[in-house]
Formats: sequence, C-alpha cells, structure tokens
Amino acid sequence: MVKDPLRKRLLRDLKEEFGKYLVIFILMASSIGFVSGFLVADVSMLKAYNESFEKYNIEDGNFSVNRKLNLADKKIIESFGIKIYENFYLSISNDEKEIRVFKDRKDVDKVCLMEGKMPQSDDEIAIDRMFADNNSIHTGDVLKMNEGDFKVTGLVALSDYSALFSDNSDVMFDSISFSVGIVTDNEFASLGKPTYSYAYKYDVSPLDKQDEKEKADELMKKINGEIPLKTFTPQYANQAIMFTGTDMGSDKGMIEILLYMIIVILAFIFAVTASSTIHKEMSVIGTLLASGYTRRELVIHYMTMPLIVTFVSSIIGNILGYTVMKNICADLYYSSYSLPTYITVWSPEAFIKTTVIPSVMMILINLFVLIYKLNMPIMNFLRRQESSGRNRKVLPLNKHIPFFTRYRLRIFFQNIPAYLVLLIGILFANLFILFGLDFPDIMDLYEIEMKENPLAPYITMLALPDSINRDDHKLESSIELLGFFNEVESENETAEKFSAYQLKSAPDPAKSYNGENVTIYGIANDSKFISLDVSDHKIYVSSAYADKFDLKKGSSILLKEEFDDQYYRFEIDGVYEYLGSLCVFMSREDLNELFDMGKDTFVGYFSESSIEDIDKEYIGTVIDYKALTKLSRQLNVSFGGMMDLVVYFAIIVYVTLIYVLSKTIIDNNAQSISMNRIMGYSSFEISRLYINTTTIIFVVLLISSMPLEVYVLKLLFRYMMIAKMSGWFPLTVSKEIIMKVIIIALLSYGAVSIIEYRRISKVPMDQALKNVE
Amino acid sequence: MFLELKNIRKSYGEKDYRTEVLKGIDLEIEKGEFAVLLGPSGSGKSTLLNIIGGIDEADEGTITINGHILKSLSKKELEKYRRNHLGYIFQMYNLIPNLTVRENIETGAFLSRDPLEIDPLIDVLGLKEHQHKLPNQLSGGQQQRTSIGRAIVKNPDLLLCDEPTGALDYTTSKEIMKLIETVNQTYRTTIIMVTHNDAFKGLADHVIRLRDGQIRKSYYNDTKIKAEDLEW
Repeated sequence: MVKDPLRKRLLRDLKEEFGKYLVIFILMASSIGFVSGFLVADVSMLKAYNESFEKYNIEDGNFSVNRKLNLADKKIIESFGIKIYENFYLSISNDEKEIRVFKDRKDVDKVCLMEGKMPQSDDEIAIDRMFADNNSIHTGDVLKMNEGDFKVTGLVALSDYSALFSDNSDVMFDSISFSVGIVTDNEFASLGKPTYSYAYKYDVSPLDKQDEKEKADELMKKINGEIPLKTFTPQYANQAIMFTGTDMGSDKGMIEILLYMIIVILAFIFAVTASSTIHKEMSVIGTLLASGYTRRELVIHYMTMPLIVTFVSSIIGNILGYTVMKNICADLYYSSYSLPTYITVWSPEAFIKTTVIPSVMMILINLFVLIYKLNMPIMNFLRRQESSGRNRKVLPLNKHIPFFTRYRLRIFFQNIPAYLVLLIGILFANLFILFGLDFPDIMDLYEIEMKENPLAPYITMLALPDSINRDDHKLESSIELLGFFNEVESENETAEKFSAYQLKSAPDPAKSYNGENVTIYGIANDSKFISLDVSDHKIYVSSAYADKFDLKKGSSILLKEEFDDQYYRFEIDGVYEYLGSLCVFMSREDLNELFDMGKDTFVGYFSESSIEDIDKEYIGTVIDYKALTKLSRQLNVSFGGMMDLVVYFAIIVYVTLIYVLSKTIIDNNAQSISMNRIMGYSSFEISRLYINTTTIIFVVLLISSMPLEVYVLKLLFRYMMIAKMSGWFPLTVSKEIIMKVIIIALLSYGAVSIIEYRRISKVPMDQALKNVE
Repeated sequence: MFLELKNIRKSYGEKDYRTEVLKGIDLEIEKGEFAVLLGPSGSGKSTLLNIIGGIDEADEGTITINGHILKSLSKKELEKYRRNHLGYIFQMYNLIPNLTVRENIETGAFLSRDPLEIDPLIDVLGLKEHQHKLPNQLSGGQQQRTSIGRAIVKNPDLLLCDEPTGALDYTTSKEIMKLIETVNQTYRTTIIMVTHNDAFKGLADHVIRLRDGQIRKSYYNDTKIKAEDLEW
C-alpha cells in the first residue's frame, strides 16, 4: 500500500509559505504568550496574595488611640473576642518622600524579606521593595531623611501594605513618595512619639462578610466605650490590604476582553488563509477529486499544516507565557503592588482560554471553510470557477473611468472579504495603538486640568476623632465636640468653611460596578471657590461624575451609606465643571440637615493658602495639587510599561494582518500577474495595480475608520473606568495622537509593502504559460 | 457492454441564458476499446466526458458502466467508483507543484488497491531522469506524461482523456499519443479521448463525431494506424 504522498507536501508547503505561517505563528504565539503570561502571573500572584493572609498572619483590623494601652486596657479589649498586637508606627520624611516605619513584626502582619537583610543596627532600615524600585533605591544606598541618614539593608513587602495607601481615604495608593519600612527597636524608640496603632485578630474568625462587618461595628463601639479611638479600620475596609486583591481580579476581566478580540482577528485570518489556499489549488483539487480522492482526505490534508502551526504556536506561546511574559507581567504587578514572592502555579483556566479555545476555534473555522469550499462540484474546481453560477452578474464599470482605476476596482471587488478582514484588523490594531499612545496624554491632561481648575487651591479636611461618636458617653462626646470645633477655627482670611459627607454610588452588577465613594460637599451660598447657586435646595454634580455616568440636568442619582442600606436619591439641577473627583454640591445647611450633623457643623476649609493655624492633630487630609494628581502619577508608573507593550502588540497585529492579506491577494492573482508580465507590464506597473489597490484601500480605511475607533475607545474607556476605577479621567484624543497612529500604521504597512513588491517582481512569467499553480 | 449511454441530455444556465449542450446521446463502448470523441469547440465533447467520469451530472438519461448505473450511485459510491475505476487526463496537467514527478504519480498509486509498479511505469513514461524534479522544472510534454502516469498508475478500467495534447507541440503530441496507445495495448485499458484534432481518428477503434450536442457519426475502424505514423 502506497502511503499518501500528499504528506510529503507539508514540509515543502511550510517552506514555500514560510512567511505566512511565520506571521500567524508570531501572532498566535505572542497572543497566547502575552495573555497566558498575564493570566498565569495574575493567578499565581493572586494565590500568593490570598495565601499571604495566613502565611504572614495578616490582621483582621487595626485601631489607633491617643496613648499606649496598659495591661488592664488590653485585658478588657481582648475580652471582646480579639487578641491585640502593638503595631506602632511613626513617619520619617524629607521634602519628597515619607516613610512610615515600624518595628519588626513577629506575630502579626509579618514581613517578607525580598532582598538583602533586616536592619541590625540603629541607622539601618529595610524599605518597601516597590518604593525602592520606583525610586531606584538599592540595598546599600543611604537615605537622607530629616530624622537622619538610614542605610538600606533590605527590601521588604509588608503584608498589611500590599498597596501603599498612606491614608485609607485616599483614592489611589502612592508607591512613588510613600513607603513603609522596618527599623530596629532601638532606632524606633529614638525617633519620638509613635502613633499608637494596634492590630487585632479575632479569636473566632467571622463566618462571612456580613458577619465580619457586624463584628467590626460591635467591636468598634465596645473599644470606643473603653478608650477613645482615633481610627478604627477593619480588614475589609483597609485599602492597603484589600485593594490589591480586588484590582488583580478585575485585571483578569480586562485581559480576557483583549483575548476575545485577538481570537476574532485570528478567526478571520484563519478563514481568509484557508479560503485562499483552496482558491490557489483549485485545479489540483479538481484533478485529485476527479481521480478519486475523497473530500475528507483533502480536508485532512489542508488542515494538517494549520494544525501543526497552531500546535507549535500553542506550545511556544505557553512556554513564553510561563517564562518571559509571566515575568514581564509579574513585574507590572510588582511595579504597582508590594506583593510577597510568589510561586508560579499551573492555571488550567489560562490554558483553556489561551490555548484550547483558539486552537479549537482554528480547527473549526478551517474545517468549516474547507468543507464549505470543497463542497463545490468538481467541475467548478477544474474550471477554477469559485461561484456556482456561470451567469454571475458582473458590475459594469463606465469605460470613461481610466483603465488602471477600473483594473483596481476589479481587484477590489475580487478581494472584498480580505479587505473586510483588513478593516476589522485596522479597527482592532488602531484601538490598541490609540489607547497605548493616548494613555500618557490622558494623565497629562488630567494633571493640567487639576492645576488650572481645582475645587480650591487648598482643601483642608479636619480629622474628627472617633471618640466623638461614643454612644454610651454622650455627654463626654458633646463636650469633646465643642472643644474640637473651638480648636479648628482658622484665622486664615481666605478660608471658607464647608461640610461634607461620604456616600457610595449604588452598585450596578450589570455593569460590573461595585459603587464608589462620592463626596457630598455642603458649601456656602455665596462661596468664593465654587460659584454655584445652591439656594432653594439645588443640587449639582461635578463634571467628572456627569461624564462618567452620562448625567445632565434633570437626571437623578442614587447614593447609599457605605455600611448600611440607607439610600438617598437626588435630582440634579446642573453640572459643575470639576474633574478631580465624583462629588455632589449642595448648600451647607441642606447637607447638615440631611445628615443630621448640626446646623453650624463644618468638616473643613477651602482656602487660597495653606492653613497653618490649626493643630496638625486636627487636620485629616490636605487636598492640594500634589494630592489630586497622586492617582494620575501612580497610574503612569503602574501602566506606563504596559502601554508600550500594548503598542508593540498592535504593531505585530498590523504587520501580520497586512502581510497575510496582501500575500493572499497577490497569490490569488499570481497567474494574472504573470500574464501582465508576459504582456510587458513592468514590476512597477504591476505593483501600481495590485499593491497600490491595497494601499489606497488601506489608507481610506485607516483614515475613515478613525472617528469610529475614537468613539469605540471612549465607550471602552468609560466601561473600564466604571468597572475598574474610582474617579474619572476625561478621554480626549488629540490630532497629534491621531497623526501618530496613522504614521505607525503607514510605517507598518510600508514595511510589508516592500516585501510584497519584491514578491510581485519575483512572480515568474511562465506561471501563466505553464499552468503551474 | 462495458459502457452504455442512453439519451443523455445536458443544459447549462437558466431561462434566457439556457444552452442545451447535449441533446440526447446514445453510445456504447466495449471493454478495452480506444474511443475518440471528435468535434469542434462547443460540440459537447468535454461535457460528455465529464458526465461519463461522474464529475458532471446529466439532466436526463442513464449511464451504465460495468453494470453500474451511475445515477443510482450515492455521492460516496460515486467517489468510490472514480477512485477504483477511473483515470483522468486533462489538457492542463494540474500537477501538484511542490511534489516531484514520482510523488505526483504516487498520488494516483495511493488511491488504488492494485497499482502498477511505479519504476517500470516511469520507464515507460520516459521520465526516469526527471522523476525527482518538480513540475516547474519540466517541459509541457514531460508534465503531461507525468499526469498520464498519475492517471494510469492506479490501473483504471477506464481512462478519460480531455484534449491531452491540446497544449503541446507536434512532436510532443505524437509522443503522448504513443504513450496512450501503449497504455491501451499493454494494460487493456478502455480509453475515451476527447480531441478536436481530426488526425487522431485513425488511432481509434471507435470514432464518435459530435456536433451541436448530437452524435453525427459513430463508426469502428477496421484498421488502425500507429501513433508514430500520425501526421497532421
């Protein structure tokens, strides 16, 4: 029995079509590598993060008080069903950086040493690894702080600071100018009076989130009943601990959207290449079928090489994913989060999504196209007649249209499916390039906007001690409150009082939206800073809020208390131009009345200059330009590298698509090109016909699709902001960015066209004469 | 009777575009016979050949080959019929470009349960020196010889040839005809050859002349001339 000699074609096919298979391989392997690298890093690091709760014995919560607890206090507090651990801290700083230092933790919130060693002597410090990376600090360096010089002996991850939030109420963490660190006990003692912070662990772990919240509420009341609390932060509300897990989980969703977009592109490429292969080999197929080959044998034959390429791409892609790409993606996480070391875990989910689904899809699409195409009558193959009707209508073209134009139009009509794929590819790749290039611009514009249009140059939020809210010591609380308001009266002439309240926007599971903090500002009726008419109970929202949720005058918003189910609905009377945060404006009287805060209550000042005449103890946060742009600066650090990857990836998509499609068009017309040469057309003229047709269509599609891409980008960006991020960044796409996208696209196209020009000049003249396909 | 055609009719197109290509063909061909279908362009020769080969379908009429009625065969059985009993040679050689001469012939051998020996066949075809060349390294005649090799290596009962010399020069055409003659004589293969070259009628046992979709003349040669003596 003779073995099927068609097998011998496979290697030769690979050699002849090396370029085509290579670009498909590059696109598949890089997609699988990139996405599986990201998913594997995500899963591995999420696992390390989740395990860190047990491994490093992360606290169930913490609280701070004004003085050190004595043994009796501790005994009483521990009788509430918790065990408490000293976790005092203080800050060392210089003009640019602040480091919150702790003593080494032995029992709770343990430290992961990632490089170097823990401090041994008094002038040594171990600092957060991410902060060190972002500031190019290495072990052995000396930090010059106001409190003295500190030699960095080690880089660490503190398990209760996986996201470096200096203040739990901050919108974003800050790994550029804020760090945590460990010093020796002696050094700690010498640095002054610490914040008396205590971590606690429950004796009996809460059953679920609801139980955790109820337990925390009860505990807070009980502790506050014994000793006035300065702060109380249960684990679930502690952003420094919880933010990382939530954010890493939502990254996965984003990357999966990317994967599905890649799959669509791959699907089209597979369909076009399979169809082109059949077109190219029509008469051979006709002869083989006429000779007795079955369609099944031919389907298997034409499926083999794409299958091999898919298989090899999958293997290489996964190897890349688990090695190089995983490390790159893990580094991206390490540049955002202070995570402990992780062990790579095998992710069946990543494998199925990145490898099995695209491979199965590839098989099915090829199978479908091959079965569909091979189902034609044998006669059609022999006559190289793809559509069934001999009487297919030909679109008449006016003879006054110049010959070359008519010729190009015919090429266009012949290759409409390929050009449709090109359009989808352009949309896809441009979206990536647009986003990659626009991201730094979005951040820059936001910073400019914050500089030019702040709510007020300084917003000073007062810190009301938790001790004021002692239900069982009402008299003491009232006296303390009076004293507090006495202490926080400022003489600053520019200062204007306001009140504020924090609510959460109502979650919307349909949009993966968990709700986010919305600040309700109660402002003066004749505010110098916010020129709004808030009389007659008028309500306004910031433009950031309006843009994000498409709100306008007459819209209503639903807000809720963060920790219970009390809802508030507001009708909007207008939008106030402010992009810094999601906020609502009303009169101070209305706000105080609504939230039962007392008629003259205020929680802070708007001012032109920094308020210096209030004790720092009573100042919670000062929101100035630096604070407002913390988010954008951090995002630039966290995602800057990622954006470069996105642009490179888009260029790969571009080159692959253009190469495969131009090649398909030239291959489909090889015989005509050969005939053109025989007739005396020069390579340049033939290129004008075949390459220039694609060039013209490419340029037209590229430019005409831009408005659609900008529109889709805005939609996706809004979705991303709603699903993933607090706050709002206005997305504008400048002309410069559009020009850059067009230039990148044209350069990618130009590079491929040179290869295609060479291909055209190499099509031999005997192709048409010898009938060799 | 090895092959019997009864009232074969075939039209292409619809309504105003409808053209009747075959207008009721009746024909009988004996086993081992060398039949030549002659006629001008558009007379329906190739269509008739393709219908006999089962790659095109008649609108009306029946074809019986070796006792099998083609119409009654399922798609799969028809495929099997072509695989086991038919060899095809086209004017255009339709060789697989990235398989060598030998491998192209092997594609035919693969289909047969009882293929001819490949080496002697390559000798007969005069392709010994070229067997490891790719099609684009061959002349037109060598390519056609390869396609003949591919068709006959499976030792078919019926060899259908559609203008096998249509794209070849005089000398090469003569060589190809000699080869077809040899196949007929050596392997007792029934051959139906479509041609518009009148000179080939002398080679055949049975000459069928078509015009406007009808058989105008059908006769048997008492004496045949040899391919090498052909002149035109």
